Amino acid sequence: MSVIETRELRKTYGRIQALKGVSLRVEKGQIYGLLGQNGAGKTTLIKILLGITQLTDGDARLLDAPAGNTAVRARVGYLPEDHQFPGYHSAYSLMDFYGQLYGVSRGDRRQKIPATLELVGIAGRMHSKIKTYSKGMKQRLGIAQALLHDPDVIFLDEPTDGVDPVGRKEIRALMATLKDRGHTIFLNSHLLGEVELICDRVAILQRGELVREGTIAELTAQKGVFELGLAPSQAFPEHEAKALGYPVRALNPTATLWEVGLTDGQTIDPLVRMLVEKGLSLRHLVEKKVTLEDVFMSVVEGAEPGTDRRERKATAVGGSDR
Amino acid sequence: MTQFLAILRDSFREAVDGFVIYAMLGLSALTILIVGSMSFTPVAPQEAMGKIASRFSIIVPERGRSRSVSFGTSGEFKASDVTTAGSGYKLRLTVTGHAEKKSTDDGKTVPDLTNGDSFRSAVAQWIGKSGQSMSIDPSGKASKKGGGGKNVEVSMPTQPTAEEQRAVTTAQMEEFLVNQFAMQGGMTATVKRITDGVAEPTYAFDVTTAGGSGVRGWPHKVEIFFGAVNISDEAPLGMVLWGIEDQIINGMGAGVALLISIIMTAFFVPNMIRKGSVDLLISKPIGRTPLLVYKYIGGLTFIFLVSTVTVGGIWLAIALRSGFWDPTFLVLIPVLTFTFAILYSISVMVGVLTRSPIVAMLATMGSMFFFWIAGFAKRWADSKRNDNEVGSTPEWLFMVIDTINTIMPRYKDLDTITSKLIADGTLTPAETRMVGLASLEYPSGIETFGVSLAFIAVMLAIACWKFKRRDS
Repeated sequence: MSVIETRELRKTYGRIQALKGVSLRVEKGQIYGLLGQNGAGKTTLIKILLGITQLTDGDARLLDAPAGNTAVRARVGYLPEDHQFPGYHSAYSLMDFYGQLYGVSRGDRRQKIPATLELVGIAGRMHSKIKTYSKGMKQRLGIAQALLHDPDVIFLDEPTDGVDPVGRKEIRALMATLKDRGHTIFLNSHLLGEVELICDRVAILQRGELVREGTIAELTAQKGVFELGLAPSQAFPEHEAKALGYPVRALNPTATLWEVGLTDGQTIDPLVRMLVEKGLSLRHLVEKKVTLEDVFMSVVEGAEPGTDRRERKATAVGGSDR
Repeated sequence: MTQFLAILRDSFREAVDGFVIYAMLGLSALTILIVGSMSFTPVAPQEAMGKIASRFSIIVPERGRSRSVSFGTSGEFKASDVTTAGSGYKLRLTVTGHAEKKSTDDGKTVPDLTNGDSFRSAVAQWIGKSGQSMSIDPSGKASKKGGGGKNVEVSMPTQPTAEEQRAVTTAQMEEFLVNQFAMQGGMTATVKRITDGVAEPTYAFDVTTAGGSGVRGWPHKVEIFFGAVNISDEAPLGMVLWGIEDQIINGMGAGVALLISIIMTAFFVPNMIRKGSVDLLISKPIGRTPLLVYKYIGGLTFIFLVSTVTVGGIWLAIALRSGFWDPTFLVLIPVLTFTFAILYSISVMVGVLTRSPIVAMLATMGSMFFFWIAGFAKRWADSKRNDNEVGSTPEWLFMVIDTINTIMPRYKDLDTITSKLIADGTLTPAETRMVGLASLEYPSGIETFGVSLAFIAVMLAIACWKFKRRDS
């Protein structure tokens, strides 16, 4: 059973199409990353799932219930982007307030609030007014309030926004722990390196359309290109390799590393056999990969920097993170 | 229920955040302190009874049931031999009347007891119907009978005939005086006429009163600032308390409290639904309608808190300092909260529609002013119709006023109800007439609260409908 499922999900704001038939599935226990430029529709997708925004067309289900179901929201934690906590609360009183809205018992609240705040590293200031907190502390509090009631699914919209590098590492570790405990995490982030490190699956939204989806390995694999190196002082037989039909090129001036391409239907095996037969010692052979950032940039290449600009014409494309 | 209490607590926390609430509570504390600095010293019984008796020339016709008062010349009332008796006093009340005059053949007028005297005339006027009344508005201007607002209705004295005066019995005289003690002094009394050695037009009565010096009509020496400033040497207790409770607190104080509350709470809903805040709340397992309704009720805690502290504190200070434990004044707490509930529903509705606290604030203040004007207009229209003075006033104007009154909350009526209740709790019946409150009817409670509640429901329904449909 999928924890999150959307089918042909569409959302329009007036003339602007924020989502244009997005279909995706998130399974239990996954960390699912959603990438996209500003205005690609990432936040809109989360808001529809939580009932904060109403869908225009298609279907969206969360925990096997229609999106926006009030009761289901008791099993969901949410950290919105650009959240603003009421300044008159302290972290403790805010968590207590939200805990009551979630139906957490008084005893549990007393026990869990300090523990959760400790988990995100702000327990020492839990009785100070939120208006005295730094941005990073507010972000940590946002994560804490999303975890307080031990939800099945956690939506985190830019969770490391405003958090320092050490804090980011801690948050990544926290997400890994939550995953180990069986929680499903849906993550919106601009930080591609971060997503690459922790997500099981990733989807890329571009102007309201899902343009790529898969595991990190699937998305970053570059099929048909190998990196190859021989033992020191051995020369790579460039001409024999080309004779076998492999496009090759040296990757460095000293020609110790070579890039070998595969043409249609070819495998690397004939080249490896030839090298062995010639008595050469293979020391390095990996299928070359690209980073998630490379993938993302190739997807959005050519797009305007940011697509959240409102378009005036009736034929507007692209979405808006709202 | 847990969610409701949570939002109530959250609203309370929001209300007490910031200096304005503390400034208001400070102002309340100061008012309570000032009232607490007042002292109410009863005038000595002998003198007090004399003062009360001196008011007996003010007559309320129809055996005290008329809404108008009549200023007669009933004679000189004098209290003597005042002694303590149980919880009250015993005294001798002497009325020195003046014989009616008759014209002689030579054109002169001479006293003639056979035509009656001023006391018998007063009793006969008290028994009889009111004469033609005129209305005196709060500025002192006289008009014909009726009129809206807090007008004093004064009945023109009708001169009873000699037969009517002769028909006045001793029992009726005693009944008149019992009624006068209740009307002017706010005390119960038993009265027995003494005839031995007393010749008309002088009358003597043995009177026994109940209630002591704490009754509302008892003259008191009133000082403020712990005796530093003397306000009055002989003001009736109830009149002073009415002045504090109705004129100062219900009049000025309530107005100020409402205005500040409107300003403070205008931020509550726009703050809640602003970008970044609303997502945090509506992602929780609570529907939008309950969320907004709970938030609305939570906003009422602001005025409830302020009015409870202020009204409760003043009531306690008055009671402790004067010994007058009348709970009617406390009705101001729910009435003020309800009045604010009407105004706050507008604030919430406009806040949801515009997300702007400034617009919500201005719209609410504008509505408050409009309701006030509409209340006055309704009274004016009713008075015109009652007095058959419609004249050239166009009919459509009355229709508009009536329609507005039918559908709009009865803001002015709530004020009337509070004023009447406070007056009934503090003033003597005669004083109620003298301050013009007797001429005002109690507005229908069901209508006043029913229409106002319906208005609140409509405002909240619009707000909820918009809030539910809105993508945040």
